[in-house]
Amino acid sequence: MSLLSADGIVKEFGGLRAIDGLSVSIDAGELVGVIGPNGAGKSTMFNCISGVITPDEGTVTYDGTEVTGDPPETLARRGLVRTFQATRELETMTVRDNVRLAAPDQPGERTVSALLRTDSMQATERSVRTRADELLETFELDHLADEYSGNLSGGQRKLLELARTLMLEPDVLMLDEPFAGVNPTLTDEIAEHIRELNENGMTVVIIEHELETLTELVDRLVVLQQGRVLVDGEPEDVLSDERVIEAYLGGGV
Amino acid sequence: MSALDRIPSGNGDLALLAGVFCFLIGGLFVLTPLQVQLPNMFYVFVEVGILFVIYGLLVLGLDLQYGHTGLVNFGHVAFFAVGAYGTAMLSAQDTFVGIGLGYPWPLALGVGVVAAAVVGLGVSATSIRLRGDFLAIVTLATAEILHSIFVNFEGVFGGNVGILGVPRPIAALVSQADTRLIATLLVLGGITLVGLAGVTRLTSAPYGRVLRAIRADELVTRSVGKSTVTYKTQAFVYGAALAGLAGGLFALYNGAVAPGFFTIQVTVTVWIGMLLGGAANHRAVLAGLSIIMGIRLVSRFALTVTPVPSDVFASIRLVVVGLILVAVIRYRPAGIWGDAQELGVDR
Amino acid sequence: MGLLQNIIFGVITGSYIAIAAIGFTLIYGIVNMINFAYGEYLTLGAFIGLFAATALPIPLPVAVLVAMAGGGLVSIVLARAFFTPINQTGPVPLLLTSIGLGIALRNAIRLVAGRQARYYDTEATTFRFDAIPDLSVGSVDLLGGFFVTSEQLIVVGSAVVVFIAIHGLLTRTDVGIAMRAMGDNESLARVRGVDTQLIRDSVWILAGVLAGLSGVLLAIQTNVNATTGFSEILQILSAAILGGAGSPYGAILGAYLIGIILALSTAFLPSGMGGLSSAIAFAILILVLLVKPSGITGTEVREA
Repeated sequence: MSLLSADGIVKEFGGLRAIDGLSVSIDAGELVGVIGPNGAGKSTMFNCISGVITPDEGTVTYDGTEVTGDPPETLARRGLVRTFQATRELETMTVRDNVRLAAPDQPGERTVSALLRTDSMQATERSVRTRADELLETFELDHLADEYSGNLSGGQRKLLELARTLMLEPDVLMLDEPFAGVNPTLTDEIAEHIRELNENGMTVVIIEHELETLTELVDRLVVLQQGRVLVDGEPEDVLSDERVIEAYLGGGV
Repeated sequence: MSALDRIPSGNGDLALLAGVFCFLIGGLFVLTPLQVQLPNMFYVFVEVGILFVIYGLLVLGLDLQYGHTGLVNFGHVAFFAVGAYGTAMLSAQDTFVGIGLGYPWPLALGVGVVAAAVVGLGVSATSIRLRGDFLAIVTLATAEILHSIFVNFEGVFGGNVGILGVPRPIAALVSQADTRLIATLLVLGGITLVGLAGVTRLTSAPYGRVLRAIRADELVTRSVGKSTVTYKTQAFVYGAALAGLAGGLFALYNGAVAPGFFTIQVTVTVWIGMLLGGAANHRAVLAGLSIIMGIRLVSRFALTVTPVPSDVFASIRLVVVGLILVAVIRYRPAGIWGDAQELGVDR
Repeated sequence: MGLLQNIIFGVITGSYIAIAAIGFTLIYGIVNMINFAYGEYLTLGAFIGLFAATALPIPLPVAVLVAMAGGGLVSIVLARAFFTPINQTGPVPLLLTSIGLGIALRNAIRLVAGRQARYYDTEATTFRFDAIPDLSVGSVDLLGGFFVTSEQLIVVGSAVVVFIAIHGLLTRTDVGIAMRAMGDNESLARVRGVDTQLIRDSVWILAGVLAGLSGVLLAIQTNVNATTGFSEILQILSAAILGGAGSPYGAILGAYLIGIILALSTAFLPSGMGGLSSAIAFAILILVLLVKPSGITGTEVREA
């Protein structure tokens, strides 16, 4: 049953067609990888689906409702959460605050509750802190909890972003290059976390260039080229597909 | 849990206590025949002190807008003016020119605050999405437009003379000059401390976390499910309301409002105070403001001892103030007490 | 006074604002900052020109050239001292620095020069054209007799010379072409070998020269005091943004629009409310920023 689908998406930037009729459907519980040469439109596709930009044409459907052009915060609250390719950390906040921020439904985020310091605010804040600490421990960031996230290494930032998104308890997790700039050991760790999340029911879509780890991880591979889906299938079939090899050699990686 | 952990408690409560205490003591002086003798030389201190606590509300509002949420508001004096004029026009009894409706001052004060908040809402509804320096220009232009309107529509706003005959509640109840001054300082100071408590509570709660996240990266904050436009609008309106309150209180203290009290100088003074002290730290911005006001105090003192004309001193003071702003941005962008990492200026 | 006369006033105002606005907008486009101390560059130009004209036995046109050179010098010195070191900090710190610098300069000038307004000693011939019919529409005279002074003609003439010179600079010289490249895309320009700091310095000097000229022309029309230039800064800013921030051609268009709007609104406003004309100019500025921040020529689109 399709949980997330994009249908006929078109997006132009100043005369350049970044996405040119893209359609893809993802079922609940899938672990999908998205690959393609540079400029194929992978991040733009993510941006169109997650509401960061509005497609010129086409529709995005999530959990049975059309959500084309809905703002990112609405989608995040409904369980569709994404990370960013260039790690956009909240650099002027500590690791702890980064994670605590993401918790949904905090009464303390509303004016009156904050001013009056209501009991529900205090109780929720306590549980948010506990959960945040647990997540930090899981991703082994607890020793860095009070560091400003701007001081973290590339790999640590990726882990932080993962921890942060998990606070939202997403149904669909969209990861944009989670292994980029991360050392091999950490890459395997992150892959392991992702596998576990998927086994527990989370739908995951991953953009990556790191083909080795990705192909071992995912059940399905979607290849984009020039803003369109080129091939869509199981990793081994896709990678041995001649068109895919040509796309990478022709378009340049 | 480390010391950096901001648990909702702490200095907000102290400020609240101190504020209520000051307010009550001040109230005591107002309502009872209790008197105070003030040596002449302290007069200037208390007068500048009163201006300081009024401006203190301005700087707290600005800190909420810029220090916490990253909104560059360079027209803050506009909200100050709207609150002042609103309160004045509703309560003035015998103004020479302009409108004075003679309503009771508590009502007028409330209207003044609401009016400032509404103007703040209007500005933020239209401009909140603008890039930092463009937002600065829009807010600055708005303040200039308002100033121009106040000066030019003489029949309504009293032109350069302004609105006179605004009731002075404390002065009306206290005849002895020294006591009046001290009572005013305590009452207004108490209100500012309560304002400090309120703003601190807001920003030390998860609410403040969202504001700081918006300042850090708005897109990421939206991606974790927060409606950033709502928060930015709220921060802007709350800041405007605080400025409006300051304006209304000023009107009721001064007994009159005129365009000369609401120039860009006020905005600049408050900005420099905030940046010098350390934006995003409420106590620090008040401390920074006190330094700037202290310079004003020193120049007022020096005026009495040197044979230099007062406008020369004003110019010297302004040269110093301008250079302080330049120096702070260049050498200590986080201010004296601010946290460089918090503000992202640690390079 | 007929509309024609008002429009003529507007064209004259537009002329000296245009000269300044070109410099202002180039700074915005290439150094990426709104320079709120720019008004003081005009003021300093006016003072330097006045000093040169009165203290030295040189004719006025030469004094103007001295003012322009002085303006360029002042501009590059201030830029190197205050703006270049913090170039990387972003538009807001640069704007705030310029605001602080402006306050300091304005008051320093006031301290040194005193409060008295000074005047350029010029002789102007007035050319009257009274024979023009009034062409009344209701209570408004569309045309009507008008006059221009020789000073005013010089202002407009100087502006035209400046426009031609700037166009030539930007299209035919290496420096000018490099400026345009940097204004469009700085990293691309650097990759192509443009010495970005050198071009920035050149822009500062050019903007200072233009400010000096505009300041003298303005002072000849009005007077020389510490706030001569500051009183125009918001109009200059409005002109630049209205025309499309970063575009010199847009700045020219924006300046004349602002000048004419100011003149017409002064004419139509009830007497005593003349001060509102500047409020109208700022209201237009706000409108432009909200509706089309890239301005009329739409060369720069800077997202929030």
